[in-house]
Amino acid sequence: MIAPMLLAIIGLIGLFKTYITPEMLRTLFNGSALHDMLVGVGFGGISVGQPFLSYIIGGELLKEGASFYGVTAFILAFVTLGVVQLPMEFSIFGFRFALVRNLLSLLFSFVLAFLIAFCVRMFA
Amino acid sequence: MKKNRSGLVMLGIVVLLYLVLGILHPDKTAAALWASLGVLKMIIPILLLVFFLMALLNAYIDEKAISRHMGEESGMKGWLLALFGGILSHGPGYVWYPLLQNLREQGAKDGLIVAFIYARAIKIPWIPLMITYFGWTFTLVYTFWVVVGAWLQGIVAQRLMRK
Repeated sequence: MIAPMLLAIIGLIGLFKTYITPEMLRTLFNGSALHDMLVGVGFGGISVGQPFLSYIIGGELLKEGASFYGVTAFILAFVTLGVVQLPMEFSIFGFRFALVRNLLSLLFSFVLAFLIAFCVRMFA
Repeated sequence: MKKNRSGLVMLGIVVLLYLVLGILHPDKTAAALWASLGVLKMIIPILLLVFFLMALLNAYIDEKAISRHMGEESGMKGWLLALFGGILSHGPGYVWYPLLQNLREQGAKDGLIVAFIYARAIKIPWIPLMITYFGWTFTLVYTFWVVVGAWLQGIVAQRLMRK
């Protein structure tokens, strides 16, 4: 059921690993917590797919040198926000509920990413 | 079934990408294929564990029962049910959203529904994969803060929507 998408993403990761150099990635995630979180939330929010794909993509990003701030924000936004499924949410729950829920999730992607990355750095 | 096809379309695009890049840069693309196989080899044993956990959840968790009890109780019990229900719920959102909207119409608090949806950011069957990539510390810290965050969001949403 999830096999074709999984294989597709893994195939993309292989291309990513060989064609995107750490230097290129570093221009995207420059190491400042706020900047990395913005990039992470941006990409996570527009991506679609099974949540575990964000673990694989995030994990590989981390290996390539992205910061925990950016990667955590990416995973949170990937799992809790969905620009693509927004119309469905609006139609099921109504405008007000869906708007409040999504704005809160957007805000919490930043807050939680910061707290999680901060704690991980403290414990590690 | 629509999901199924989007996976196949995506896979088709990636195969095409490999073919095109394989003609332009054969060496680099071969290396990319090897890198992909490396990732696949690492993930397969974890996937087996994941599917086992999913089957276990399917067998023991009555999703409808969780959601039915969630909204009717307010207070601490309602929050706990919303948070645990969200964590235990699995499968795509479009399966759950109509069910949750149904609960709202029956009088469930909006805050509880918001907390439930956010707690879905914790995916129990996929925890082994998260540990593999990010380690135990990250996984525990992530889980803790997502639960706290889901609860806080529920409280804020409840204040804002007052139903």
